[in-house]
Amino acid sequence: MRELADFAVHYARELGADYAEARLHSDLGNVYLMKNGNPEVAGFRREQGVGIRVLVNGGLSFASFNRPDKNLAEERVKEAVRMAKASVRVMRKPISLSHEKVVEEKWEVRPRTPFQEVSMREKIELLSDIDKAVSSPDEVEASVPSRILQLIESTTEKYFVNSEGATIISKVPRISFIGFLAAHEKGETEQDYIQKGESRGWEAVEEWKLIDHAKERAKTLGKILKTGRKAPKGKIDLILGNQIAGLMAHESTGHPYEADRIFGREAAQAGESFITKEMIGKKIGSEEVTVVDDPTVKNSYGYYLYDDEGTPARRRFLMKEGIVNEFLHNRETAAQMGVSSNAAARSSGFNREPIVRMANTFILPGDHVFDELVEGIRFGVYIKTFGEWSIDDRRYSMRFVGRECYLIENRELKGMVRHPILEITTPGFCSSIDALDKSLVFEAAYCGKGDPDQAIPVWHGAPNVRVRGVHLGGIV
Amino acid sequence: MELEEISPFIVDGGLRLGADEVAAMAIHNTSRQVRFANNEVTVTETWDEVRAGMLLKKDQRVLTASISELSTEGIQKALKDLVGMADLMAAHKNYAPLPQGPFRYQTIQGLYDDRIPKLQEKSVDYVESAINSALDSGGKRAAGTLLATDSESFLTTSGNVQANGKKTTINMVVRCLSNGESSGMGVTCGTTLGDFDPEEAGREAGRLAKMSERLKPGRSGSYDVILGRIASAGLFDIIGGMSSAFYVDSGFSCLAGKLGEKIGCDEIVVYDDATATEGLGSTPFDDEGCPTGRTTIIEDGILRSYLHNSFTARKHQTKSTANAGWINPRASNIIVKEGRLSEDELFKGVKDGLYVHNLTYIRFQDYRKGDFSASTRDGVFRIEDGEITEAVKGLRLSDNLIRMLRDITSLSKEAKQISHWWMGFGTPSVKTPLIHVKNVGFTVPTK
Repeated sequence: MRELADFAVHYARELGADYAEARLHSDLGNVYLMKNGNPEVAGFRREQGVGIRVLVNGGLSFASFNRPDKNLAEERVKEAVRMAKASVRVMRKPISLSHEKVVEEKWEVRPRTPFQEVSMREKIELLSDIDKAVSSPDEVEASVPSRILQLIESTTEKYFVNSEGATIISKVPRISFIGFLAAHEKGETEQDYIQKGESRGWEAVEEWKLIDHAKERAKTLGKILKTGRKAPKGKIDLILGNQIAGLMAHESTGHPYEADRIFGREAAQAGESFITKEMIGKKIGSEEVTVVDDPTVKNSYGYYLYDDEGTPARRRFLMKEGIVNEFLHNRETAAQMGVSSNAAARSSGFNREPIVRMANTFILPGDHVFDELVEGIRFGVYIKTFGEWSIDDRRYSMRFVGRECYLIENRELKGMVRHPILEITTPGFCSSIDALDKSLVFEAAYCGKGDPDQAIPVWHGAPNVRVRGVHLGGIV
Repeated sequence: MELEEISPFIVDGGLRLGADEVAAMAIHNTSRQVRFANNEVTVTETWDEVRAGMLLKKDQRVLTASISELSTEGIQKALKDLVGMADLMAAHKNYAPLPQGPFRYQTIQGLYDDRIPKLQEKSVDYVESAINSALDSGGKRAAGTLLATDSESFLTTSGNVQANGKKTTINMVVRCLSNGESSGMGVTCGTTLGDFDPEEAGREAGRLAKMSERLKPGRSGSYDVILGRIASAGLFDIIGGMSSAFYVDSGFSCLAGKLGEKIGCDEIVVYDDATATEGLGSTPFDDEGCPTGRTTIIEDGILRSYLHNSFTARKHQTKSTANAGWINPRASNIIVKEGRLSEDELFKGVKDGLYVHNLTYIRFQDYRKGDFSASTRDGVFRIEDGEITEAVKGLRLSDNLIRMLRDITSLSKEAKQISHWWMGFGTPSVKTPLIHVKNVGFTVPTK
């Protein structure tokens, strides 16, 4: 269908489009699902289609189709051009795109062990072995009656062309594991969600050591239920573990720095941002905090070298030493700001417009070791993992509830505490960080945004961070 | 291959390759959307897609696929691959065969409106009138989406099912912002243009944004609350999702183990109704070919039924409720039965409380218990002696879903169908009145 993508761009220009692009995008994915030890289903999704975007007189239109039919391509391009023109009368300022270097490139991620070289039986057996390990009371010293385990392997291929002469061909394999576990003890439950994901082949699964990892997580749930005491409330110092600090980097620094949110384009859905375009250069965090988003981290779940507008990817410094430094841009928001795109345009499939997205968002590590963080706290809590997480749509006010948590007394880690609740604002959090350790741990996730929703693979990461003088409280 | 030929071809092909049972659904969907923000159209979109889903069962192994390559060769390759996978798969422990047809299907009135696929530039007019209406009502910046869909589907199963249907939907969400954090939201949706009212959606959004202009910081505490329809839809979307027997069996539903128990107040009645007129999730047949209908989930506060497909029904020793999903039963249209009070009477029943128009980012601390929290927005007001006295901001609802069901005291007598982006459990629509709940917990950030 590449010729249809080429045709669509040429035809749109013939019809008067000032700019046109087309992306032939195919996703081939296999899924294996086990629920409470039962192999519920295995299967696959094979999708291919062409997404077209045109800019006509300042009006923007997207169209997609998935049949190899030139008449259909013609019809869809005609409608896109017509609708772009029609939309102009409900616009005050025409949409424009930033000028970017035109690239012709081909890139791919080559897996060491392609998925197809590993038998499906081995994959099902792996899920079965994980299930057996986490459901064995002898192994995990807990009752874990609820278990959903899922393995997803996919390969995404794209052929991108635009009317400026860009041509970019890419191929990326991705693999992920998702596990939901719930442990029960005397009418109480604790739940955990595990997700691993990388842009690699089966070698990633081998390195994850999923059986041991899931077993440890299940064991921890049992320990929380058996030994966890009530968490303290009130003003306190905390250590937030890699997992929760990484999520905060994504949710409260990544999302509010998406320029389309800042300009209000997502107001009716994902929301806007407490960050305004005038806040570049404003200090909202402590000097220890630098948050970056980087699509070029090798093996990462959010890996890419060129975004879905053909712009070369690079590391973006969102917050530098506590100061608002840079937003995430596609070509539309970059033109609005009068800057260059930093290659944040991503699309989840052939049938979705590219919009501003994160890739791999993380807090840069500090120079402490973990024990030094603990030694700096007379009385506090170490929140290693989280359960609930929720944030408002301006990304200002958030709440999270700890899962695996330990009391810190007299500069030492003590016993487990249950469900500490932190409700805090983003500037409140960023300005309370006083030390970070040297570790950097990434977690995989699917990030949701757009309408219709576009779930895209990302990593978020962080060192362990110490925050001073925040309040634990909340209800439930 | 024509659309109607695809599903019989898949079923025949699968059986010829040795499958015990096969079901196939071929769908052509053409959807059109106009998105807008800051009183301007930001993008128009058209999606034109044909795809086929297939379910294949062999020796009690269960496999599914979704493909877009629908040539003879493409389908045959997919079937061969599925059969090959079946040989490597383990047997399903709660296996159930496909329901045996043929079945007779109810005609659902108003499921297709041939004006909707032809809207084209007219959809921009609708957006313009919604924006103007929002601004005329006092809002300053309107944002939202207009989504119009047109689909045709053909289902064939080896259980002697041949079914097909056409459907349109139209859905507009308008969010209007005023000063700073002030905002309001309105929704209008259905399967025809009959009751579709973009101006009213814009008016509601603009009116609430205007009413929210002077926001005062909210205070933590326990309040009597009137949940607006959009907020209520967010919560009953979850009830719809959690009543799926798949989630119940998974152990991640707060409805698990409560069948026959009183989980709500006497007044609360909740249905799933796939035959609802104008219902965005209406369909005469489910994915296994069963004729759909109405299932009572909660009646007089008692949990009466989960939602089933044939797999979960067999495990629960009951009949399918015709909510298949081949793997996961799913809600169609969740309907919360209206109460007896006018909106004025409902407000009069609140001496000191809150009105909450929308809940976003609903997240669970404990799915099994139902502990959750959510952000409030788009119109949060203090109610004193039955009257709205001021707009408040920054409140987070933190409570338990089952406790809230039990503490519902009354419902308004006018229900409206709602569908919006934050209904994260995937229920196509929730029809709900305003709901008064006692003693709901709210918190604010502390730093």
